[in-house]
Amino acid sequence: MEPALEGAVQEGRKMSKRKRSVPGSPAESLLQPVKLSREELYKEPTNEELNRLRETEILFHSSLLRLQVEELLKEIRLSEKKKDRIGVFLREVNQCIKKVPSIPETELIDQAWLPAGVRVPLHQVPYTVKGSFCFLPPAQVTVVGSYLLGTCIRPNINVDMALTMPMEILQDKDLLNQRYFRKRALYLAHLAHHLARDPLFGSVHFSYTNGCHLKPLLLLRPRGKDEHLVTVRLYPCPPPNFFRPCRLLPTKNNVRSTWYQGQSHLGDGKPEPPTPHYNTWVLQDTALESHMQLLSTVLSSAQGLKDGVTLLKVWLRQRELDKGLGGFNGFLISMLVAFLVSTRKIHTTMSGYQVLRSVLQFLVTTDLTVNGISLCLSSDPSLPALADFHQAFPVVFLDSSGLLNLCADVTASTYHQVQHEARLSMVLLDSKADDGFQLLLMTPKPMVRSFDHILHLHPLSRLQAACHRLKLCPELQDSGGDYVSAVLGPLTTLLKQGLGSRLQLLAHSRPSVPEWNISQDPPKHKDCGTLTLGLLLQPEGLTSVLELGPEADQPEAADFRQFWGPRSELRRFQDGAIREAVVWEAASLYQKRLIPHQVVTHLLALHADIPDTCVHYVGGFLDALIQGPKETSSTGEEALTEAVRCYDDLSRLLWGLEGLPLTVSAVQGAHPVLRYTEVFPPTPARPAYSFHEHLRERASLLPRPDKPCPAYVEPMTVVCHLEGSGQWPQDAEAVRRVRAAFQLRLAELLTQQHGLQCRATATHTDVLKDGFVFRIRVAYQREPQILREVHSPEGMISLRDTPASLCLERDTKQLPLLTSVLHGLQQQHPAFSGVARLAKRWVRAQLLGEGVNDESLDLVTAALFLHPEPFTPPSSPQVGFLRFLSLLSTFDWKNNPLIINLNSELKAEEQVEIRSGFLAARTRLPVMVLITPQDHKGSVWTQDGPSAQILQRLVILAAEALPILEKQLMDPRGPGDIRTVFRPPLDIYDVLIRLSPRHIPRHRQAVDCPAASFCRGLLREPQPSSLMPVLGYDPPQLYLAQLREAFGDLALFFYDQHGGEVIGVLWKPTSFQPQPFKASSTKGRMVVSQGEELVMVPNVEAILEDFAVLGEGLVQAVEARSERWTV
Amino acid sequence: MVARGRRKRAVQDTEGRLPSPLGYSAVPIKFSEKQQASHYLYVREHRVREGAQSTWPQKRTLFVLNVPPYCSEESLSRLLSPCGLVQSVELQEKPDLVESPKEPKSKFFHPKPVPGFRVAYVVFQRPSGVAAALILKGPLLVSTESHPVRSGIHKWISDYADAVADPEALRVEVDAFMEAYDKKVAEEETKAKGEEGVPDEEGWVKVTRRGRRPVLPRTEAASLRVLERERQKRARKELLNFYAWQHRETKMEHLAQLRKKFEEDKQRIELLRAQRKFRPY
Repeated sequence: MEPALEGAVQEGRKMSKRKRSVPGSPAESLLQPVKLSREELYKEPTNEELNRLRETEILFHSSLLRLQVEELLKEIRLSEKKKDRIGVFLREVNQCIKKVPSIPETELIDQAWLPAGVRVPLHQVPYTVKGSFCFLPPAQVTVVGSYLLGTCIRPNINVDMALTMPMEILQDKDLLNQRYFRKRALYLAHLAHHLARDPLFGSVHFSYTNGCHLKPLLLLRPRGKDEHLVTVRLYPCPPPNFFRPCRLLPTKNNVRSTWYQGQSHLGDGKPEPPTPHYNTWVLQDTALESHMQLLSTVLSSAQGLKDGVTLLKVWLRQRELDKGLGGFNGFLISMLVAFLVSTRKIHTTMSGYQVLRSVLQFLVTTDLTVNGISLCLSSDPSLPALADFHQAFPVVFLDSSGLLNLCADVTASTYHQVQHEARLSMVLLDSKADDGFQLLLMTPKPMVRSFDHILHLHPLSRLQAACHRLKLCPELQDSGGDYVSAVLGPLTTLLKQGLGSRLQLLAHSRPSVPEWNISQDPPKHKDCGTLTLGLLLQPEGLTSVLELGPEADQPEAADFRQFWGPRSELRRFQDGAIREAVVWEAASLYQKRLIPHQVVTHLLALHADIPDTCVHYVGGFLDALIQGPKETSSTGEEALTEAVRCYDDLSRLLWGLEGLPLTVSAVQGAHPVLRYTEVFPPTPARPAYSFHEHLRERASLLPRPDKPCPAYVEPMTVVCHLEGSGQWPQDAEAVRRVRAAFQLRLAELLTQQHGLQCRATATHTDVLKDGFVFRIRVAYQREPQILREVHSPEGMISLRDTPASLCLERDTKQLPLLTSVLHGLQQQHPAFSGVARLAKRWVRAQLLGEGVNDESLDLVTAALFLHPEPFTPPSSPQVGFLRFLSLLSTFDWKNNPLIINLNSELKAEEQVEIRSGFLAARTRLPVMVLITPQDHKGSVWTQDGPSAQILQRLVILAAEALPILEKQLMDPRGPGDIRTVFRPPLDIYDVLIRLSPRHIPRHRQAVDCPAASFCRGLLREPQPSSLMPVLGYDPPQLYLAQLREAFGDLALFFYDQHGGEVIGVLWKPTSFQPQPFKASSTKGRMVVSQGEELVMVPNVEAILEDFAVLGEGLVQAVEARSERWTV
Repeated sequence: MVARGRRKRAVQDTEGRLPSPLGYSAVPIKFSEKQQASHYLYVREHRVREGAQSTWPQKRTLFVLNVPPYCSEESLSRLLSPCGLVQSVELQEKPDLVESPKEPKSKFFHPKPVPGFRVAYVVFQRPSGVAAALILKGPLLVSTESHPVRSGIHKWISDYADAVADPEALRVEVDAFMEAYDKKVAEEETKAKGEEGVPDEEGWVKVTRRGRRPVLPRTEAASLRVLERERQKRARKELLNFYAWQHRETKMEHLAQLRKKFEEDKQRIELLRAQRKFRPY
């Protein structure tokens, strides 16, 4: 009895402890490893618990996903309390509408009765139309749409109300020539006028139904604090069975050319063109009720289906697919669910997650542009065939009447985009990734971050001319003059054909749905924002500069010539064929990436009459930041390849070297250049002798104090492993001496056998080859092992990591491995280099380059390519950089390791293990944990930084830079100054040390390239004999090293190594606390008496002068900007 | 606080005594005439507690704290020479009672570290030097017209020139070291050979890897390997899910795993909810 009681008491104590820790934990927002007592873990399960576990197993992917989905639904669902408030408002609206007075009958064109404060929400072009109008209150007011179904999502709750117009308003031939739509608009105008005077409403606006500008609707919002709670949308619709369905088939015409084009019919016997879209819009109004009934019978039966629809709506919204004319909106997706229920692909017992999965699976496998689907079950022969619809519409999904195409406005591009997204999401769901939910439903995918290149067509009025050029008059007549939507389809088809293999996916933004005051005219088409196209590129197709056409004598040749216009020319190829072909001018990878720009501007000018001044192509703006100082035609990939080729030559020489006591077993690169991630690639060094001091006996050049600092040449590290041998000594000091002997021998042999200029030191040999300088480090595989050995008193040899052994292992083992893996990644993804360099450039430009080392930045960039979900791997530096910023700012570095599965070597189980190990060891790990297959703990590259403060700063900067940059890139008038986000804010620093450009060797690499800089002693032409140039001599870096050594515990120093002219100094607040005297911490401090005591404080005035003393010649000025230290 | 300190200092300067901790006296030091403010060396006679060992000579050694980075051994020696003849100056990262080994470190294998603020042990020839140093007025000037000290660009250039190694000198040094090392190893080997198979006074025979029947070296890794092999051998023999209780336990274990996972997930959700991570847009 007693022990049990004691156990219970202990248990209680534990419980209370945990309870106390739980509210604390979100505050510090750090996950703690879960500790459950034995009793709790092994108690008998209850029935309920077993049921829940089983349900989770069957209906969801994991318990985490289930909890996440439940949380999300809770967040976006409408609460009962709000529902009640909305219900009250709806009843009031209903009464108001019923009270609107009627007006007597007038001619349609006589709109003098309309009061001054309200305008007709429709472009009445042409104005004259027959028929008469009178206003009578609606015969019936019904609530339709997602609000009733319970699938509406927060925020922006919309309640749709259908107003059935009385029969008396309509006349026989109202179907013709937009008469019905005119009446509908006038009906709304009158309603709006009366409702606007009612104090019940906070705002009364017009808008369009799904962006269709023939069908305005009225938006009502309550007054007061509920204004943002709900929007009631009023849709007038015709009385049931008023229009005869046979008049509304997709092959029928209801807008006469004579009327629309304002000329008498020429009578040439040409049949009137069908108006399928016009007919559909009328049909949509008549079918509101029946759709509602269908959906409510299907969805009301099961909560799982409703959840599924809600999740799908979130999914669409995150991908910006649901808005505008032709968007894949919530109604469509509900109908799709209804269709899948009717075909038994979805069962009513399924969970929301399963519904989501089934719908995505269906979208992936079914191409509605080829095989349309129908909800119609009847086999009435009078109904039109699917083929008729395919002829009239790009995407076909018929409703239960078999007459109405629900996807009438959806373009093929939009549907393909939906399919593309569904495919990506299915891959993600199947991959069993831990954070699938986050990526699937919580990550927004704005256009600028999803597509490699985007282009804006601006101004939109230009598209009107394009319509005429593309001969789209019937389409214009059909869409009632909306040239933007009329031209979309043909335009995207044109570009898709032209871009061919370069393109993976072309998407277009849908014209936004405007909202305007009732006293204003509806906005013109050209004011509907801009048309933005997104291009997802195919990296394999980008390398070619040639469009190969058919052979000259074949009939297709004429089409090809017609398509490409003057760019097409006859060419003779090496295999003897004479073909039509188009060749684009592009020499470097940078230019090749931008060939789509050339294609697009050429085709648009040729076929659509859109001049290149209206095409704003956003694809290469950021590339300017990684172009060399005087380079404009390349982003440096070629120069990097050149350096890598030189390295390959050198490694061949090393392999074949004769006379070394041990043979070379491996040569591995270990420098950023050799993995294509050095921001500015090295150029062959050709130093001018007159510019330097000579050190004749060593054949080396030295900098001269009276000249500007010579050009910066950084030797590229190459690790050279020698074969193992019993002859190697087993003592660390002796190994170092033997290595030094090898370095000397290597230099000797390379000079003798290949005539290369070499310089050996104890740790490395510098080799000058073709102007590139390589730093060869001889490595002995067992050396880290020897450094690790510790002899215990009992004579046991145990291995313990020491700083020296870790450092050596990193430099000679892990770094070469990483370099070769990333080199491979570059071969797979040509954009890797650009993204990595842009990212590095940005971090360094923010003066944080020294806080975060090169390798960790490269790995974060690699993660963008290896784990791009929910995107695809970037194919342009621009989109890659945006995603880098987004990853940096949104990733929860505290609670998650970033797993970079290089070469997919990590298995799923290993990843799970790593994650749980991570939680348990969190406090001992660095703040930024990067896991690679070689490093399961994730501490090799980030052990020495970034510190928590630096990472925090980086996250904040990225979060601020991202929206600014995206806004700039999405601005159709051009991005303005793209370098804005690369300029660091300097106002946070306490002291600024200004440096003299004369002694900054990389001055020209600055973000804002200086107009003039100093001569750095380089020749244009190579010289025959060559001395070793000045290596790694960068005065600002030497200066910083001194500053950090001397004042490292008092201040932090920040500097941009690429031509920064200023060093930012931040005092450490903790070291400015007065401290009692201690012999070990007097560095740079002085003793002052404070009250009775003697305390130590930093001797700031002397330190500021030290800054100038230590950097004599380099420092221009030391500005103390804040008096923070005096407080 | 510093501002307040500044005021105090001004007052005390007129009195002629600088604030200094017990036992130390403060000596201002500047780089050159041009500088306004100065650092303070805190000096005192080097003393150790009873019983502690120190290789520095008693009475004659001056202990100096807070030596600025631009002040080298030579400069310090020159600055303190007015107090008496200086025998040696040693600069160190932190206070250390033991004199560093006398033989000079190889400049190839131990490059000079970048200097920061250091401590110094200055040994005078006579004890009077220490006493004189304690009442030194200052300010001391590190760089003067007659003895300029290089800093900034000039220093870096000369450092760079020094770092360009002389391969011949390096070779000579390496050869000398290796010769000594080889000799040492050879000696050890002959000694080991002599002991081979010869029992010591208690009758134990030492077995080495160079013997006729070499044995595994005694390393931790090797012993772990042996243990692991044993464990695997045992695991192979064990029957799993054989008895009913085993079956029951496996099931219970599975359930416990699920529970643990569920608990973890709940915690994760809690955290996400706190961060408002469930707002999709």
